[in-house]
Amino acid sequence: MRKNKTEKSYFDRVHGWGRISSVTALCVLIMFPVSICLYLGVWPSLSGVMSGLLKLVPLYWTLAVIEVLIYTPMLGAGGTYLSFVTGNITNLKLPCAIGAMENAKVKANSEEGEVISTIAIATSSIVTTIIIALGVLVFKPFLPAFTNSELLMPAFKQVQPALFGALAAGYFSKHWKISVFPIVVMVGILFVAPTLDAGTLLIPGIIASVLGAFTMWKLKWVK
Amino acid sequence: MDFKESTGLYLIAGGVIAFVLAQSIFFLVKAWKQGEKLGIDKKKLRNTITSSAVFTIPSALSVLATVIVLAPSLGLVIPWVRLSVIGNLLYETKAAGDAMASLGQEGGITSTITDPAIFAGVAWVMTLGICFSLVILPFVAKPLHKKVLNLGKKEENKEETTEKKEKKSGGIAGFIDLLTPAVFIGLIGAFVARAIAGKGKPETFGDGAGVLSLITLVVAVGASLILEFVAKKFKIAWLEPFVMPIGMIIAMVIAVVAYNVLPPELAVLEWRG
Repeated sequence: MRKNKTEKSYFDRVHGWGRISSVTALCVLIMFPVSICLYLGVWPSLSGVMSGLLKLVPLYWTLAVIEVLIYTPMLGAGGTYLSFVTGNITNLKLPCAIGAMENAKVKANSEEGEVISTIAIATSSIVTTIIIALGVLVFKPFLPAFTNSELLMPAFKQVQPALFGALAAGYFSKHWKISVFPIVVMVGILFVAPTLDAGTLLIPGIIASVLGAFTMWKLKWVK
Repeated sequence: MDFKESTGLYLIAGGVIAFVLAQSIFFLVKAWKQGEKLGIDKKKLRNTITSSAVFTIPSALSVLATVIVLAPSLGLVIPWVRLSVIGNLLYETKAAGDAMASLGQEGGITSTITDPAIFAGVAWVMTLGICFSLVILPFVAKPLHKKVLNLGKKEENKEETTEKKEKKSGGIAGFIDLLTPAVFIGLIGAFVARAIAGKGKPETFGDGAGVLSLITLVVAVGASLILEFVAKKFKIAWLEPFVMPIGMIIAMVIAVVAYNVLPPELAVLEWRG
């Protein structure tokens, strides 16, 4: 009983901090263009801004709703609030959290999972922020030689296969029976719609994976 | 001096970045303290920090590369802030291009902004276009988590009560153990499938599935499995948390080697065109 009370109060506190930090982040973010306008003493044309937003808002705001609904249950409470402020969720924060929970051998929807996921995402956010800041401020003169390097270019182009391959090794080897079906389905989808990006593909992928796993469990092929 | 490089703009960006860092440190400290309260081994907590940091470095460098790609057109300040707050590798390049076209900047992100009003307009469009998740999160996150936590509690109690629950719910309680892995597999699988059969943008090398993406994927899987085996077989405890980051870095090194060793027409081959 006592543990349940502590657990509830911790999650409630995390959501309290998270709500405050989300609203604060939103204000800080909006103050960025405001400060630029005040500093430069110019304001853009309203029609130009509205026209730009009309191109982005239908797609990006819809994606924002989908991302919040999909990623929030996977990231944990603290991880969710941090990830949606610092961004790069699919390509960085989520794989980092999944990998950390796998290493620590904790379940995603447990309190231990919540703690490990938050630590992993916070660390990832700090490291990313510091690397970008150092890159911009300290190594500015040398950056083009590094990031435009013909030699290193293939490594930067193949970050995602490397990252998700490493992650897949741990996950697929432990759950290989339920891994084959969704991969086959998604490769099949790509044969029909080859330009589909991973962010869109993962929606039918997750549905296929859950339905496949459920069917195998019903047939007693997996426990 | 180029107005995009003025000290004032860097100070404004620095303020935003300082907020992001402070928030991350705050949550890190709180989670660490809660971990101690729960009795999680400090070594496990430290390993989580170290392996997450190593895991992050290659991806963070590729985010930095996007900042650099956008810099000739937008300067460093806007891409720096946009990719440090909410930003995303996939979204920001498109957002910048759309914003510049709408504000009358000829040539999109291949051109250089010289008009401060267009620069300010791009900052507005990129900021407002991406910020919606922060508007809905305070309303949605808590109810969603409550549902997930209830699911977790059911999972914990499953062993004792599965039989009872199965009678009550038609057997679905036994599936809960598989639900989380199935969701993660669907997510990871999307990126794996794209490295096998996805088509990239024709003008961008390395965006689609091809020889290089497949080599990188296979090496990442193989290297991680071998490292995991070695860590377990020879009981090398320190290696376990680093299996994934090291596997990832080995795969990226092999991508560089393959690109430089393979015949050029084979190295750049992407089978979906």
